[in-house]
Amino acid sequence: MAILEVKDLQAYYITHKYGRSTSVKAVDGVSFQVEKDEIYGIAGESGCGKSTLLKAISGLAKPPLEILAGEVTYNFDGERLDILALNDEKQRRKLRGARISLIPQGSMSVLNPVRRIRKSFEDIIRAHLDVSAEEFEEMVRKHLDALGLDWTVMHTYPHQLSGGMRQRITIALSTILKPDIVFADEPTTALDVVVQRGVVQLIRKIKEEQRSTLVLVTHDLSIHAKLCDRLAVMYAGKIVEEGEVESIFSTPRHPYTRMLLNSLPKLGDSSARSSAPGAPPSLVNPPSGCRFHPRCPHSMELCRLEVPELLEVGSGHRVACFLERRGADAQRQAVGS
Amino acid sequence: MHSGKLLEASDLTKVFTKGQGFVRSTIEAVSRVSLSLDLAKPEIFTLAGESGSGKSTVAKLILGFEAPTSGKIWYRGRPIANLKGTKEFMKDVQPVFQNPFETFNPLKKVQSYFFETERNFAGSAQGSYPLTEKSLELVGLNFSEIKDKYPSEMSGGQLQRASIARALITNPALLIADEPVSMIDASLRMSVVNLFKTLKEEQRVSIIYITHDLATAYYISDRIAIMLRGQFVEVGSVKKVLDNPLHPYTQLLKSSVPDPDPRSRWEEDIALSDLETREYTRRGCKFAGRCPQVQKICCEGEPDYHAVDDRLVKCHLYS
Repeated sequence: MAILEVKDLQAYYITHKYGRSTSVKAVDGVSFQVEKDEIYGIAGESGCGKSTLLKAISGLAKPPLEILAGEVTYNFDGERLDILALNDEKQRRKLRGARISLIPQGSMSVLNPVRRIRKSFEDIIRAHLDVSAEEFEEMVRKHLDALGLDWTVMHTYPHQLSGGMRQRITIALSTILKPDIVFADEPTTALDVVVQRGVVQLIRKIKEEQRSTLVLVTHDLSIHAKLCDRLAVMYAGKIVEEGEVESIFSTPRHPYTRMLLNSLPKLGDSSARSSAPGAPPSLVNPPSGCRFHPRCPHSMELCRLEVPELLEVGSGHRVACFLERRGADAQRQAVGS
Repeated sequence: MHSGKLLEASDLTKVFTKGQGFVRSTIEAVSRVSLSLDLAKPEIFTLAGESGSGKSTVAKLILGFEAPTSGKIWYRGRPIANLKGTKEFMKDVQPVFQNPFETFNPLKKVQSYFFETERNFAGSAQGSYPLTEKSLELVGLNFSEIKDKYPSEMSGGQLQRASIARALITNPALLIADEPVSMIDASLRMSVVNLFKTLKEEQRVSIIYITHDLATAYYISDRIAIMLRGQFVEVGSVKKVLDNPLHPYTQLLKSSVPDPDPRSRWEEDIALSDLETREYTRRGCKFAGRCPQVQKICCEGEPDYHAVDDRLVKCHLYS
């Protein structure tokens, strides 16, 4: 059963300056479904619209970000809810934290520096539940225990903790109310490898303990490989490939996905590796047709003219590329050799 | 003793003090660290370790931004204490910083940094900047790509390469790169890392590469030092140390590098440090609190360096 359905979502940043309006087409016609109890990954380079997508689907769009079209439907135990149709901020507020939770980017620095960690926990719990001091303590203690964090951190100020610990506290904070779905925006970026592994460990625990569904956004494909069940690759505001993690890593179909995977250095392998040529396009004026065509090694005439659709190519594996449409097995073999 | 060395540091220690009087506490951010780079053979030397292990402090000491509490650094046989701040030293040793968006002032055009450096160090006349163009070419950028642009108009990868190009104007012998790729997308990382490799091979620049990313370290460097809470715990050739790590901390670091393969996921849990200061002030081995192979002796005495299999390891397991 899908807990989240996104259909043809279009979210642009629209600014008006000197009587002219510019729109940054950060999310342009994105559709996907997230099943209950899975970890769904969204990958792509910075500036491809990953974070905007998260903002839009968690109902946090504020000007200049505007949602022009599309549907975002949540399904909480049979109760269907279109978050974009909710006009009442109060209703949305009730959802956030309790049912939907967002772990924001750079969340090591979101904690209030002049309040003890305990206060931050109190804030979020008291906003949703009416609990006594004992109930509060029991609730937090249980949660921290389950996540393997130490109770003593409750009495500290953020500056006393290391960056990785703060990151884990923020994750604990945003999951204390056992939300049905958790969005994590770059939760491991800027952390060193050991702490990064700790965060991966924590996210997996949350999933097991609370049976929450997770949507994980990061540019780091190795983290997706370690955590996700299904993965979507975004490029310039669109999903270009989606499928089971195993099948994307073993048989990437889109040239962009292949390029991303090839650029990853591996420990124990110092053979020459090239980085992805070119840079992501500007979203104010994205290239015509397939947005990847200026960087694509296999671009054809057709790619400049038409936008490829996201089509199913195997069980649950969808790709938006003309190479696929042309029954291009032969071509792919030629490319692979 | 210093002839033939580009850089030599011996027994570097830096102590930071916090508070005064009764609440005074000290942290040894760098503790008895020694390293040296050969003059004849340029190399890439990696300092690796988690955040808060003192990597950046070592860089600051070498650049002369901080004075060591004890220990000495010689650059081409001359003590850095006398050299720092001189044009000659600044010309020869150049830094590359972590976040390219913070390296450049957002209100200044990127090119102004190039022009300033060139005027100050190469004495080029106003209006003609041959070195700027040459150094941009080395990093794979074209002058037209940065002309009249503000930092916000360039991508992180481009900006980081520009930041390296700026450092190259003075034709330095040593680059100190502090986490140069950690803020850049994984897909663009390789462009910067490959650039370091070319600089070493073609321009004969030695590089101290500071990172927590062992995969890129393995890819480019010759020697590596693993740092933990201010100390080197394992030093040796990168192939030796990372192919077959001996110190339990290096083993932990290596196994924590996520390899891009969904078939192998981390099954066993690891212990993490929560309060950095607790590990810094620990007696004995700093890793004892998290080490899977901890013994009684580890909590009592600090281990010595042992030469095992062409490298130095600071661990009681090998005594």
